[in-house]
Amino acid sequence: MKALERHRKLTAIWASEPGIRGWFSTVNHTDLGRMFLVTAFFCFMVGGLLSMLIRAQLATPHSAFAGPEIYNQIFTMHGTIMMFLFAIPTFEGLAIYLLPKMLGTRDLAFPRLTAYGYWCYFFGGAMLIFSMLFGIAPDGGWFMYPPLSNAIYSPGINTDFWLIGITFVEISAIAAAVELTVSILKYRAPGMSLDKMPIFAWYALVTALMILTGFPPLILGSVLLEVERVFGLPFFQADLGGDSLLWQHLFWLFGHPEVYIIFLPAAGIVSTVLPVMCRTTLLGHGWIIAAAVALAFLSFGLWVHHMFTTGIPHMGLAFFSAASTLVAVPTGVQIFAWIGTMWKGRPELHLPMLHILGFFVTFVIGGLTGVMVAVVPFDWQAHDTAFITAHLHYVLFGGFVFPIFAGVYYWLPHFTGRRRFFHLGELAFALVFIGFHVTFLAMHWVGLLGQRRRISTYAPEDGWTTINLISSIGSFILAIGIAMILIDVILHALTASRGRRNPWRASTLEWAMMTPAPAYNVASLPHISSRDPLADDPDLAVRLARGKGYLGDPGKGWRETLTVDIASGRPDMHVIYPANTRLPILMSAVTGVFFLSLLLKFYWTVPLAILGVAALAWKWVWGLGLRDDPGMQPIGHGIELPNAAAVERSPGWWGTVFLLTANATFFGSLLFGFAFLWTVAPGWPPPVWFAASPFALSIGLFGALIGPIAMRLAVRKNRRGGSAVPAFVVAFLAALVLTISCSTMMLRTPAPSDHAYGATLFVLGGYGVFHAALAALMICFLVARVLHGFTSPARRAELPIVGLWVDYASIIGVIVLISGHLPGLVL
Amino acid sequence: MKDLLRILIAPLMWLALFSAVYGLHGLLCNLGITSTALGFPLPRILLVVAYVIAIALQGMLLLLLYHPRIAARSPFVRHVSHVTGWTGLVATGWTLLPVVLMSNCT
Amino acid sequence: MLLVFFSFQGKRAAKDEASQVRVWIVGLGLIFPMVVLAALLAYGLVVGERLLPREGANVVSVHAQARRWEWTFTYDDASEQETKGTLHIPAGRPVNVAITTTDVIHSFWVPRLAGKLDAIPGRTNILRIEADSPGTYEGTSAEFSGAGYDGFTFQVIAHDPTQWDAFLKGELNEGS
Repeated sequence: MKALERHRKLTAIWASEPGIRGWFSTVNHTDLGRMFLVTAFFCFMVGGLLSMLIRAQLATPHSAFAGPEIYNQIFTMHGTIMMFLFAIPTFEGLAIYLLPKMLGTRDLAFPRLTAYGYWCYFFGGAMLIFSMLFGIAPDGGWFMYPPLSNAIYSPGINTDFWLIGITFVEISAIAAAVELTVSILKYRAPGMSLDKMPIFAWYALVTALMILTGFPPLILGSVLLEVERVFGLPFFQADLGGDSLLWQHLFWLFGHPEVYIIFLPAAGIVSTVLPVMCRTTLLGHGWIIAAAVALAFLSFGLWVHHMFTTGIPHMGLAFFSAASTLVAVPTGVQIFAWIGTMWKGRPELHLPMLHILGFFVTFVIGGLTGVMVAVVPFDWQAHDTAFITAHLHYVLFGGFVFPIFAGVYYWLPHFTGRRRFFHLGELAFALVFIGFHVTFLAMHWVGLLGQRRRISTYAPEDGWTTINLISSIGSFILAIGIAMILIDVILHALTASRGRRNPWRASTLEWAMMTPAPAYNVASLPHISSRDPLADDPDLAVRLARGKGYLGDPGKGWRETLTVDIASGRPDMHVIYPANTRLPILMSAVTGVFFLSLLLKFYWTVPLAILGVAALAWKWVWGLGLRDDPGMQPIGHGIELPNAAAVERSPGWWGTVFLLTANATFFGSLLFGFAFLWTVAPGWPPPVWFAASPFALSIGLFGALIGPIAMRLAVRKNRRGGSAVPAFVVAFLAALVLTISCSTMMLRTPAPSDHAYGATLFVLGGYGVFHAALAALMICFLVARVLHGFTSPARRAELPIVGLWVDYASIIGVIVLISGHLPGLVL
Repeated sequence: MKDLLRILIAPLMWLALFSAVYGLHGLLCNLGITSTALGFPLPRILLVVAYVIAIALQGMLLLLLYHPRIAARSPFVRHVSHVTGWTGLVATGWTLLPVVLMSNCT
Repeated sequence: MLLVFFSFQGKRAAKDEASQVRVWIVGLGLIFPMVVLAALLAYGLVVGERLLPREGANVVSVHAQARRWEWTFTYDDASEQETKGTLHIPAGRPVNVAITTTDVIHSFWVPRLAGKLDAIPGRTNILRIEADSPGTYEGTSAEFSGAGYDGFTFQVIAHDPTQWDAFLKGELNEGS
C-alpha cells in the first residue's frame, strides 16, 4: 500500500464530519485541542478587556468611570476569567492537542470524555460571561470570602453564578485531568519507557495529578457555600457553629496548588522549547522532573500563607512561611537548569526564544517578591495591597503568559503547516514586555505606598495619581502588544506560505507527521528507543507514513491504537476507539440544565436533569461492548495483543482509579472540614448530638461488608464461565441496604439549618447515599450486560470497574456512618 | 505504577506529616493545655516528639529507596526517586523546624 | 540575568555533562538558594516573634469592632468612652487592640504603626501597636467588604500622657 493510499483510508476512518456539523460531533483530540485553545484565547481577550476597564478606572483619582457596584463585578470577573476560563483551559487545550502526538499515538484515552469536558467548559464559561453582559456578574472578589458572599450580605444571584458556573467548568478540568493522566501513563508508542518520555509529558502528568487533588477542595467549598446560600445550612456562619475560615482553608487548599497548576505546564513548554532554540539537550533531565514533583507536593503545603493576617498562631504561620521559602528551591533548580542549558548550547534568538527570555526576567522578579511576601512580618504590611496584585501578575503573566506565547509561536507551524511571513511578532513582543513591566513595576510601588487592592477610587491627596497614570499607560501599551500578537497569528494562519516539515529541527515526535496534523496523527506507531527519536532518526516520519511501524494496516476500518506497560513501555493492550458522536455535547447540555435549574431555582427540573444524565451515561457506556470474543489482535512486527475488553485492567479501570482519587480528595476535604469545625470553630459543641441507632449503623456496616465480597465472587464466577447474576443480586441488595442506612442518617440528623454539626452530617449522609445508589445502579447495568450477552470469561473488563465503585462506596459508607453514629454512642 | 509510586512517595509522606503536625499544633492550641512535664510545657514536648518521629520516618523511607531490593530497576527512576526522597527529608526538617524555635499559640 | 546574557557570548570549551549538572543544579540551583533562604527565613521569624503581643504591666488594652463600614472603639481603662472612626491611644506605650466584627471579614491596618490583622466573625484577634510620638495616624480596613470598601478608613490619634489622662476622664475636646 502506498503512503497516499494509506493516508486516504486512515482519513476516512478518523476524520470528523465535514463543516460546522463536525464541531458538535467530533471526538478527535486535534479538533478539540484547537477548540479549547481558541475558546480560551477568546476568554483571555474578554479578561484583558476587563483589565483595561480596571486600569481606566484607576488612571485618575475620583474617577467617575464606573461605580463600585460595577467595578466590583469587573475585577471579580477579571480574576475569575483569567484563572478558570483562560489559564486552566489553555493548559488543557495544549496538552490535549499535543500529548498524543508527542507520545507517538493516535488519540487520548477517552475521546468522548475530551468532548464532554470541552462542552462543559463552553457552557459553564458561557453562563459566567452572560451574567456579565446582564450586569449580574459575581462581585465578591475572585476568592469569594464568606460571610461577604453568603445570602445575607450578597442576596443577589451574582454569587450563585460564580459558585455554579465555576463548578460546571471544573467538571471539564477533572475530566481532562483523568484523561491526561491515563493517556500519559498508558497511551504511548511502544518502547517509550518512563525515562524516554518527553519532558512536556512529565510536566503534564504532574499537573494533571495536581488538578485531581487540588480542585476537589474548591468544588467542595463551592457546593457547601451554595447549599448554605440556598438551603441555609450554616457551614460558614460563626454564630451557628460554622466558621468563615473553613472557606479560606478550602479555597487556598485549592488556590495555592492552582498557581503551580498554571506554572508547571508553562515550565514544560520552556523545557521543551528552550533546548531546541539552543540546539542542545536539556541539562539535568532527571533533576528537572524531580524538581517538578517536589514543587507539586510543596505547593500543597503553602495554602496558609494566603491567611497570614487571619490571626493564626505564629508557630502555625512559621510552618507555612518555612514551606513558602523552601518552594523557591525546586523553582531555582529549574531556572538554573535552563540557564545551564543555554550555556551548554548555542542560543538562537528566534521569536519563541524572545518570549522565553521575557519569561526569565519577569518570573525571576515575581519569585523574588514571592520570597519577600513569604516572610511573615513583611506580609503583614503588604497583604491585600496593590503590591500583592503586582506580585501575582509577575508570577502568572511571567510564569504562564510569556511561555504560552513562546509555545504558540513554536507550535504555530505545526497548527497551520505554514511559515511565518509577517514579522509583526518581534515588535509585539517588545510592546508586551515594556508595557507589562511599566504597568506592574508601578503597581508594586503604589502598593508599598499603601494602596489597597480592589478599591474603585482614591483621592488626589493620597499621592498615588502619577504612579497610577503611569501604570495605566503601561497597561495600554501591553494591550496593543497583545492585539498585535493576535493579528500576527491570524495573518499567519490566513496568508503565509507552506512551510517545511519540522522547521525548528526539533527532536520530539509531534514533528514526525504532516502539518497541519492529519486526524489519525501517525499512519503507523513508531518504536521508541531514545529520548530524542527525531534527532536519532530524521527519516522516521517517512517510514511511519509508509506504514513501517505498528498498526499500519487500516484494513479493518477501526479507530485503533495500543497501550503500553507504564514503566517499561512494552505494548500490552489493543484498543478500538468510539467514533464521532453527538452524545458528549448532549450530555453536557443536560448537565447544564441541571446547573441552570439550580441557579434559577427551577427545582422541578433538577431531578429530570439528573435522570437525563443517568440515562445518557447508561447509553454512553452501553455503546462500547463487544458481542463476540475479540481474540488476539495483530499489531505488526509479529506481535499480538489482547483487546481492552478482554483484560482485568482496561483503560476504563485506570480512568476509574484516577477519578476515584479525585473523589477521595473531595471526601477527605469534607472530613477535614468536619474535624476543623469540631475543633476550631467557635460555637461548638452543638446543642444536640445525633441520636445514634445501633440497628441502622449495623445494617449499614453489614451492607458495606457484603457488597465488595459479592462483587469479588461475581468476578471469579464470570472468569470460570458461570453466571455472575446471583452474586450481582446480593451485591445490589447490599448496596441498597447501605443506601437506606445512609439516608436514615441524613433524615434523622438534628436540624441541619440550626447548627453546622447537623449540616455537615446531612452532607456526609448525602455523599454516602449518592455513592451507594450509584453503585447499585452500576450493578444493575452489569446485570443488563450479562443478560444481553456482552460478557464472557474473556470479555471481563467491565466487572472490575464496577468492583472499584462498590469498594469505594463501601469504604466511604463505613466512614460516613461511623462519623455520624459514634459520637452519639460514646458521648 | 510502582515506579511512579517510588517517585511520589517521599514528598507525599512529607505532605501527610506536615499536615499532621500542623493539625496537632492547631488541636493543642485549641484545647488550651497548660500542664507541664519534666519542666517543659506538655504541648511543646508533644510537638518536638512528633517532629523527631517525622524526621525518623522520612529518613527510613530514604534508606528504603536506596535499598537494593526496593529501589527501582531503571537507573532513571532510581535517580529521580532518590532526589525526591532527599526532598522529603529536607522538607520535613526545614518546614517543621518552627516547633523547636517558635513560641506556641500566640 | 547576567548569566542569561553571557550565554549568548562566545563559546567556551565544552565541559562534560556531569560537571555541568554539579555547577548549575547542585551549586547554583540547590545550595545557593537554600543558604539565602535560610537566613531570610530566620530573620523573618525572629522579627515576627518580636511583634507578638506579649503580656506586660505597661500595656493598654482597647477594642476595635468593625461593621460595614465603620469602626467602633472602646477602652478597658475608660468603660464609658466609645469612639467611632477614631482610635485614641497613648504615645510611647504598647497597645493591644482586640479586633472583632459584627458582619463580614474586615482588616485593621495602620501602616505606620503595625501590620494588618483580620477581624473574623466569631473570633477575637489581638494586634500589638505602638506609636513612638504623639500625632495622627491614618488607618484603613484592608479586606474587601463590598460596595462601601473605598471609603472605609479610620484614624488613630496618639496622645502625650496628659492628654491621654484627659481623654480617659472624658475631658478631651474634639479637635485638640
